[in-house]
Amino acid sequence: MKHFLLRIEPVIWLLFGQGLLIGTMLLTGWILVVGLAAPLGLVDAAALSFDRAHALASNIVGRLVLAALIVLPLWKGAHHMRHLSIDFRGADRDVVVAPVLYAVATIGSLLGILAVVRL
Amino acid sequence: MGEPTKTFVITRFDPDKDEVPKTQEYEIPVEADWKVLDAINFIKDEVDPSISHRWSCRMAVCGSCGMMVDGEPKLTCKTALSDYGDRVTVEPLANFPIVRDLVTELEGFMEKFQRVKPWVIRAKEDAGAADSKPPMNDKGTFVQSPAELAEFKQFSMCINCMLCYAACPVVANEAEFLGPAAIALGHRYNLDSRDQGQDERNEIFRDEGTVFSCSFANECSEVCPKNVDPAAAVNQAKFGAVIDWATSLVLPRASAGRRGEQGGK
Amino acid sequence: MAGPAHPDAMAPSKPGKTRTAPPQMPASWWSHPRIRTYLAFDATGIVYLLLGLVALRVVWALGAGPEVWDATIASLSNPLYILFHVIGLVSVLFVGVRFFGFFPKAQPPRIGPAKPPPQPVILAGLYAAWLGVTLLFAAILGGWIF
Repeated sequence: MKHFLLRIEPVIWLLFGQGLLIGTMLLTGWILVVGLAAPLGLVDAAALSFDRAHALASNIVGRLVLAALIVLPLWKGAHHMRHLSIDFRGADRDVVVAPVLYAVATIGSLLGILAVVRL
Repeated sequence: MGEPTKTFVITRFDPDKDEVPKTQEYEIPVEADWKVLDAINFIKDEVDPSISHRWSCRMAVCGSCGMMVDGEPKLTCKTALSDYGDRVTVEPLANFPIVRDLVTELEGFMEKFQRVKPWVIRAKEDAGAADSKPPMNDKGTFVQSPAELAEFKQFSMCINCMLCYAACPVVANEAEFLGPAAIALGHRYNLDSRDQGQDERNEIFRDEGTVFSCSFANECSEVCPKNVDPAAAVNQAKFGAVIDWATSLVLPRASAGRRGEQGGK
Repeated sequence: MAGPAHPDAMAPSKPGKTRTAPPQMPASWWSHPRIRTYLAFDATGIVYLLLGLVALRVVWALGAGPEVWDATIASLSNPLYILFHVIGLVSVLFVGVRFFGFFPKAQPPRIGPAKPPPQPVILAGLYAAWLGVTLLFAAILGGWIF
């Protein structure tokens, strides 16, 4: 398992880095509108109506952006949680913690891609 | 009376007598312009000759007097005593096995240091045809422009004081990690226009103790007394190792005697 | 000291001639503001993972039809969701400021023949991109354009 983790490290690091970079950029606007402004009634209800949302999301650009919005933060999250575990004297349990976190991120990513494909 | 004094709480450990390290306090008169090292030398010379500590040049070049001062790794010859209160704690460098008092075991660091191959590696003669690096001139040296030197000069200023190892949270928790200074040195040779060993070092960077273990806490750069910025080097090394990994997938390595990269997952 | 480090931290492959005391963490490990900032940065991983899963839930609902979509959007008004998104916004801003601050110096001085722009230019570009993407994405989501 240790060897396997070493082999995938470059891929993980790339996804993690894009999560930090693109994930942060996309999440800021997403949280501001979908997470805060809309629930607090600051946005016209029609903006997030099913018809408009579906029309916006179901073109190729919309699908790619939403896929990035789901997938990249998952990898940023999983990798940072692995670091956090190691910070708390977790190097020896890393062979269990890291695969579990990356498995969650992998499953979430596959579901995320499925979610944008079936729109 | 009237002479300013400070109390030094110093870690003591005698491997022949002590089960675990303990502390001993010394109250001594101090001069206004003293560095922390001056106080420890005073204690050793005038109060308690049994204290063991390392020091040499007293001018922040030799890198041997690194200790934890009030919990932070410092070059004690460069650390003004006036910045501290009446009680100053002096401990051996964190994250290193303790040999005696303020002296730490450096052999583990030396081993990590050698693993990154910190020397100029040249390709074998027969590979010379495809070689884009400058050949040796007739004086038996390599020509390097100031611009080429500038690319790595900052990372070559390391004095191996190991403060970055004492500060790094990954070094503290992950015994295999190559660590800041070793990776910075390997990266320094990867950036050197005369060097042809990037493939080898990038494989080492992806192997056990990998550069990817770094979580960019930036503590190494915060404590570095020579402004080497090891955190920059380590994270540039990650870029280099990833680019090298990606190229090795597309263009399998031809060089004999080295295992080829088999790919990612 | 703040307790022991990993027992094998910086240990040589062969033990030396005398026994050594085990390595200790720096005493500043928990208490130093820089260390706390760093641990908070790593801890935003939990928030990002959850933000990704919430985004997955919302996009999944969009594929499940109008009823599920409306119920999902309505559920985001739950005070717990609002609180989570406030924490999320703080985390995202914190991560952006810290990571974009570090990003320029992590660029190699040269990738092949290509040189990256000077560090202040990279930093300014990151902030401009962050602001631009946020404004554009928010305007589209909020129905102010398109």
